[in-house]
Amino acid sequence: MRTVRLTGTDVLIKTGSPHLEVPLNHRRSTVIAISALLAATFAPVVTSTSAFAAPLPAFAAAEPNQVTDLTVTQADGFATVAWTPVPGVTDYQIERTAVDASNAPTGTPTVVGVWRPNRQVNNEEPTFADAGFNPGSRFQWRVRARIGTAEQPYSSPVFDTTKAPWGDPAVAGQNLRTQWETTQAAQYTSDVNEYAYTAEVDRLSERVRVVEIGRTVQNRPINMFVIGYPTPPATPAAVAATSPLAVNCNVHGNEPGDREACLIMARQLAFSNDARTLGLLKNTTVLIVPTINGDGRAANTRGNVTGQDLNRDYSLIRQPETAAYVRMLRDYRPVAGYDGHEYGNSQAGDLPMLPPRHQNVAQQIFDESLDMIENHMYVEGAKDGWWACPYGCANGSGVGLSEETILRNTLGLKNTVNSLLELRSSGGATRPDEGNTANNRRRKTFSALWTFNQFMDYHHNQLSDIKTARGEAIEFQAGNNGRIVFRGSRIVPLHPAPHPGEAGPREDLPTPDMILDNAPCAYKLTEAQYNGARTDGPNDVGATVAERIAAHGWKVVKVADGYVVPLAQPERGLIPLLLDEQGEEEWVSGERVYPTLTGRHNGPLTISGFACLSGATVNGPVNLRPGATLVATNTTISGPVNAANAAGVFFGDSVVRGPLQVANTNGPVTVIGTNVSGPVNLVNNTNGAAPYFAGNSVSGPLNCAGNSTAPTNLEVRNVVNGPRAGQCATL
Amino acid sequence: MRTRLLAVVVVAALALAGCTSDSSTTTAVSGPLCDELPKGDEPGNPTALASEPVDQALQWITVLTTFEGALRASELVPELEGKKAITVLAPSDDAFMAKFSQDNLDELMIKDKDTLRTLLRAHIVDRSLSLADLRDADSVTTLDGTTVKVGEADKMARIGDEATTVCADYRIANGRVHVINHVLGNLPTTAGQGDSGH
Repeated sequence: MRTVRLTGTDVLIKTGSPHLEVPLNHRRSTVIAISALLAATFAPVVTSTSAFAAPLPAFAAAEPNQVTDLTVTQADGFATVAWTPVPGVTDYQIERTAVDASNAPTGTPTVVGVWRPNRQVNNEEPTFADAGFNPGSRFQWRVRARIGTAEQPYSSPVFDTTKAPWGDPAVAGQNLRTQWETTQAAQYTSDVNEYAYTAEVDRLSERVRVVEIGRTVQNRPINMFVIGYPTPPATPAAVAATSPLAVNCNVHGNEPGDREACLIMARQLAFSNDARTLGLLKNTTVLIVPTINGDGRAANTRGNVTGQDLNRDYSLIRQPETAAYVRMLRDYRPVAGYDGHEYGNSQAGDLPMLPPRHQNVAQQIFDESLDMIENHMYVEGAKDGWWACPYGCANGSGVGLSEETILRNTLGLKNTVNSLLELRSSGGATRPDEGNTANNRRRKTFSALWTFNQFMDYHHNQLSDIKTARGEAIEFQAGNNGRIVFRGSRIVPLHPAPHPGEAGPREDLPTPDMILDNAPCAYKLTEAQYNGARTDGPNDVGATVAERIAAHGWKVVKVADGYVVPLAQPERGLIPLLLDEQGEEEWVSGERVYPTLTGRHNGPLTISGFACLSGATVNGPVNLRPGATLVATNTTISGPVNAANAAGVFFGDSVVRGPLQVANTNGPVTVIGTNVSGPVNLVNNTNGAAPYFAGNSVSGPLNCAGNSTAPTNLEVRNVVNGPRAGQCATL
Repeated sequence: MRTRLLAVVVVAALALAGCTSDSSTTTAVSGPLCDELPKGDEPGNPTALASEPVDQALQWITVLTTFEGALRASELVPELEGKKAITVLAPSDDAFMAKFSQDNLDELMIKDKDTLRTLLRAHIVDRSLSLADLRDADSVTTLDGTTVKVGEADKMARIGDEATTVCADYRIANGRVHVINHVLGNLPTTAGQGDSGH
C-alpha cells in the first residue's frame, strides 16, 4: 500500500487498492475517493466550505472548459444531472451539496460521481443519475470537466428539491410505507412488515390481488402481487391471456435491494393514477414476487434454510421455493421477466444485465432479450443517467454462464424473454464506495426501481415483438429442431463503442461432451424413475420426478412399460437437460427414444404402440389404434389423420394435407406450428391438462368440444381459414 | 464472483468525526465510518441505541447485517444479554465479504454453527471497553479464550494484527459495540472462491 499525504497533517489515505472502505466526509474538508481512479489517477477533491458559498451569477460568461447548461431532473429516488459536453475533456465530476430552503449549504460538497465515456452508448448528451440521498432532501449540484486529472472550472450551480417518497401522505394507500422507507433505509423490510404492507396494498387497491404461490421450507408464505386495471384478471389462465410480465425480486436472501424496489413499485402500480401507469395496466398484468426466499432473507443468507442456492435450482426444483415459482410460470405464463440480484464486482457499471444464453434457448428469445437490454435499457439509461452494461463488464469471467438451473436460463428455456439484473453493491469506477450504508442501499434500490419501470415500458412498447419471438420459439422447440446442448452459451457480443475496455461474460461455448447432435424423439422413464422416492430435497425428501414434470407443465404419455416424455413440446430445450444421462445436472437417465420413421412411407399408416415420425413423408392416411401414441415433427402427411382413443398425439412443425381428427385421447394432445389443409376436430379428449393448439395454420374449420379442459393456444395465435367453434372459438 | 479488496482508511486528524454533539444526552461515536451511519435524529442514531439489547442495537447499524445475522444464527444472544457487560468488536459487511466466500458464509450460518459460535466469541469481550480503554490496553481476551493485542491506531484502536475500529463507542444496554474493518479469529480466508455469481 502507498500512503499519500494530502493536506499537511489533515488526512492520510492509504491507496493501492481499488476500494476505499468509506468515503471520507468530515467537517474541515471533504475527500471523496472515486475508486476507479486508482492510485495513478487518484485525485481527491478538497473543498473548503468557503469555496462554494458564492455561486457564479447566471449571466457570467463561461470560463474556458467550464461545463454549461447544467440541468437536474428529479425522479423517484434519483436525479438526472445533464450538461453540454466540453470538447476534448477526459471525464466529469458531479458534485452535490446539501442546502436549506434558501440554498445556503448545510453540508459539505461531495463528489458523488464521475461521468466517463463508457457510461453511456451516446456521448453527445452526457447524463448522470445521482442517487444515494434521502428522498425529499434539497441539494445544490455542480459539474466540472477534467483533462487528465486537471480539474476545470465548475459549472454554475443548480438548486433543487429531490422527489419525496412516492405517494401522497394524505391519500389512503398512497400513504403506505415499508419499513425500509420509514427507517430511512437503516433497516430492510422484515418479513412481518412485508406481509402487513402487502395485505394493505391488497386491501386498498382494486387493481391488486395478492396470491400465495407457495410456502418456504420454514413455512413462510411466498406472495405474488397480481396487478391489472381496473382489476386483475380472475384466474391464472385469464392473466396468461394478457401476456403478463414477471419480476422476481429476492432469490438471494442477502441481496435485498431489488425487493425494496418491488414493494415500492407495487404501491405505485396500485395507487398511481397517471396515464402511463393506467396505460400499462390496461394492457397487461404485472406479476411481482417480492420474496421467493423468505427464509434466506430473514436469516440474511444467500441460500434458503437448507443452504441451497435457489438460483441453482430452477430447473431441478428440489426446493419448495423454486417449485412454487415454476408452477407459477406454468399457470400464469409471463412472456417477459426480470430477476433481481446484487453484485459485488467493483468494476461493473451501475446495472449489469444478461440475456438467457444457454444454447438450447431458442434464438428468437435470446435475440429479443438482448434487444431489450441493448436497445431499450442502454438507450434509456443514457437518457436518465444509469449505466446499464453486460453482466461481467470486467473481471466477470466466471459469471453469467449456461447453467439451466439459473432462472435467467430456465426462463429462456421456457420461451420467456428475460434478463438478469444486478445492483452493484460495492463502489465502482464512477461511484464512491459507501459500503452497506443507507445511501448505498438507496442507490441500489432506486436503480432497481428505474430498471423495473423501464422493463414495464419495454414490455408495453414491444409486446408485439415479444409475442412474435415467443411464438416462433415455441414453434421451433415443438418441432424438436436442432442439436441438443446440455451446457454451453451463446456469445454475447460486446456493444459497439463507446464502451472501451469493457468485457462481457466469457464465451462459454459447449464442449463436445455437452453436445448431442442426434436428438432423440422422446425420453422414456421407468416406473421407479418417474414415481420413485427421491432424497434431493429438504431433509432428504424430494418430490418425485412425476411431480416435478407436472410443475414444469410437460406433457407425458403413459405407456405399458413406463412414461414417455416427447420433445415435441414448448420446453423441448429444457427436457433433455433433466432426463438425459449426458445432462450436467439431470434428475434421471431416461432412455432415449429415437424416431421410428424418418423417410418416406407410401400408403396407409396404421399406428399401434408408439410411433415417432421425424422428417418423414407419409403419402396416405394415418390411423391411430386405441392406446397408440403418435409424435410427428417436421413431417408431412398427405392424407387424413384420425386418432380415436389414443394415448397421446403430438404434432410439431409439420404438415397435414387432409382432415385432422383427435378424439377421446386418454392422454396429452399437442398440435403446434403445424399446417393443416382440412378441418380440425379436437373432441372429447378427457384425460390430462389442456390440449395445446398453438401457432397452427388451418385451411378449414376448427372445432373443439367436450374436452375435459378447454384447449389453449398458449397465447400463440392460430391462423384459421374457417369458422372456429366450441372450446376453440377464440384460439 | 464477489471479489472485494479493502483499503484501510485512516483519518489522522479526524477527531470524533461528524458524530459528536455538545449535548450531554447524546451518545458520541467516533471513527471515519460514523458519518455514513444513522446519526443526528435519524432512526438508529447512536443515542437511540444506548439502552437497546445487543441484538436490537445491531439491527440498526447498517454495515453490520452479516454480523447481526450470524449472531442470531449462532443462538448466542441469550448468553450475551445475560452478561453484566460486553464489548462487541463487530466486523463490517465489507470485512466479511473480504474474508469469506458466499458459500462459506452460508455453510457457517446454516450448517456449521459450532464453528460460527467460536468465530463470534472471538469478537466479544466480557467487559465493557470504550475506545479509550482499547487504546490504553495492551491486550484483551475474547470469549473464545484468545488473547488479542490491542492499542492505538491514530485516533482509532487497533485490534489484533489487521483490524482497526472504523466507528467506535456505540453504547448498548450492557456494554459497547465497535465496528471494525477485519474479521478476527483464525478461520481461513475463502473470499473469491466458489460460484457466487448471480
